[in-house]
Amino acid sequence: MKNIKQYRLIILFCLCFLAVANVNAQSDWPVPAKENENMSPFLFDDDMVLEGRISYENSCTSCHGTPGQDDFTPMAPPPGDPASDQFQLQTDGALFHKIKMGRGSMPKFEDAFADDELWNIVAYIRSFNKDYKQPLPNMEGVEIPEYSMKLSFDDNIDKLVVKVFAKNQPQPEVSIAAYVMGTFGKYLLGKSQTNELGIAYIDVDPTMPGDEEGKLSVMVKASKGFGRAKMNEEMVMVEPTIRKSAIEGRHIWSTDKMAPVWLKVSFFITVFGVWFVLLFIVIGLRNINKANKEEA
Amino acid sequence: MNQANKNDKSRRKFLQKLGVAGASAVAGSALLLQGCSDSNKSSGNKVKVLTADNKLVEVDVAHLKPGDKIQDLSYLQERGREGIPGKKFVMVVDLAKCKNARKCMKACQSAHQLKPEMHHLNVLEMEDPVRDTSYWMPKTCQHCDNPPCVSVCPVDATFKRQDGIVLIDNERCIGCRFCVAACPYSARTFNWTEPKNSEEFAEVTYDMELNVPQKKGTVTKCAFSADRVREGKLPYCVSACPNGVYYFGDQNEDLVTNGTTKKTVRLSALLDNNAAYTLMPELGTKPSVYYLPPRESKG
Ligand code: SF4
Ligand code: SF4
Repeated sequence: MKNIKQYRLIILFCLCFLAVANVNAQSDWPVPAKENENMSPFLFDDDMVLEGRISYENSCTSCHGTPGQDDFTPMAPPPGDPASDQFQLQTDGALFHKIKMGRGSMPKFEDAFADDELWNIVAYIRSFNKDYKQPLPNMEGVEIPEYSMKLSFDDNIDKLVVKVFAKNQPQPEVSIAAYVMGTFGKYLLGKSQTNELGIAYIDVDPTMPGDEEGKLSVMVKASKGFGRAKMNEEMVMVEPTIRKSAIEGRHIWSTDKMAPVWLKVSFFITVFGVWFVLLFIVIGLRNINKANKEEA
Repeated sequence: MNQANKNDKSRRKFLQKLGVAGASAVAGSALLLQGCSDSNKSSGNKVKVLTADNKLVEVDVAHLKPGDKIQDLSYLQERGREGIPGKKFVMVVDLAKCKNARKCMKACQSAHQLKPEMHHLNVLEMEDPVRDTSYWMPKTCQHCDNPPCVSVCPVDATFKRQDGIVLIDNERCIGCRFCVAACPYSARTFNWTEPKNSEEFAEVTYDMELNVPQKKGTVTKCAFSADRVREGKLPYCVSACPNGVYYFGDQNEDLVTNGTTKKTVRLSALLDNNAAYTLMPELGTKPSVYYLPPRESKG
């Protein structure tokens, strides 16, 4: 009996050792201590998991596969399965940092995703860990400001002007990121910080094509500490562009649908004309033949 | 266009007069309504769907009704011909990053019901015997702005849409393979035999944007994933690549998005800064697929 117990202990010890070794394999990707302790300012809920899943499926599945299925792409070094201990034993901050900054063949998602979207992905990865309890930062005495924004465009200096308020007071030192919303992703216009008047300026390239009215669809995010705000707006910022259809007008490959009426009419007149002449000749020949026979 | 409208109107009038159509429509929608009402029980199986105002919602599978528009062939045919207004889709292939992972090919073949030997997209090894080097080059249909394949089709089965995508309607295709001969990029393949899993797809309504179900005796080729693009998603191949080879986007917006990193960049800058080129420009086909040279890169 005692023997078996010892045996179990040894196995347990080996398992622990393996787990630690596994973590060690990851630890050759050092994360700065501050980042490592970083915590999500949001409570991971179903909405975050759902959003994270969409981002994950779009951006991560091609290498990491579906979490829990161990179907990641064989690469060197292996990308690994996010549901595995190799990932789950890391802190939220470490996961966040690694997704954000990338390394080697792991792309850097800093420009593609804003911080809250990165936390969505962490929330999704955590949803595969039943034992996970989200560590929460100490929020005692911390007041989360509610930011509101006003966007305008200054066409003298071609800059997007972002004003940030909280309780009608302009807010300094708020980080601002502005994006142009494209069909498949968002294009980073620029990042900036508000000055003491609560105003941030972001350069806009006037050569960017807008729509028929010169509008661009912009998305601006403001964040400082736990306070964040997001705003979408269509703004006239650039020269209007006329969007031409790729099949407009006539081309060398145009099909009959695009042929002008005069062409169709003259085509058919010519074709029927030729048939008519042929028919006329044939009938004429027949009549001559008939007349010949009658005479004979 | 005008003429088409007129045709449409007169046809509609005719149908109205007939009255039968009206009656059947009523019956049809009644069935649909019924379908909705008895779906209160949920199966517990959820799927994500995009609503008309671009919001993602999760609904129970049991709440979805099979009589949806998506099942309607004439709706699909019309939508497939029309394309997406205001867009002009382009692809950029960064040859420096391609490591022949062939994930793009697999994604494409499984999406389009293709056998392993049939390709809409093929990764070719390009050899330079003089310098004794080689590189990998993914090659799809170039969605030419001047497509020779379209001009030779005798039955208007292959056509170009307003968003630049060249598609095939296999309901119309007579299998003459003129287009295969006309395409200078060998982008088209022919269904010589019954397509993969044809029994499974027997009941599926034909969607020309996906070109599934495939049909024996017709031609098939890359469709720039017109079905995905319609939903605002990147093409199958683009999002499957683990190496960041593909960019896809709208030339009118001058923005393209990388399928791996999701980073969106200016198309013009990407092309200019990397000495982009198109395949066989001397033919005047004006491809919509650009290549960035296979040089060593930091990215
Ligand atoms: S094979 Fe089909 S698509 Fe090609 S030219 Fe003939 S009919 Fe047109
Ligand atoms: S690459 Fe070939 S199939 Fe594609 S549009 Fe050009 S000519 Fe047609």
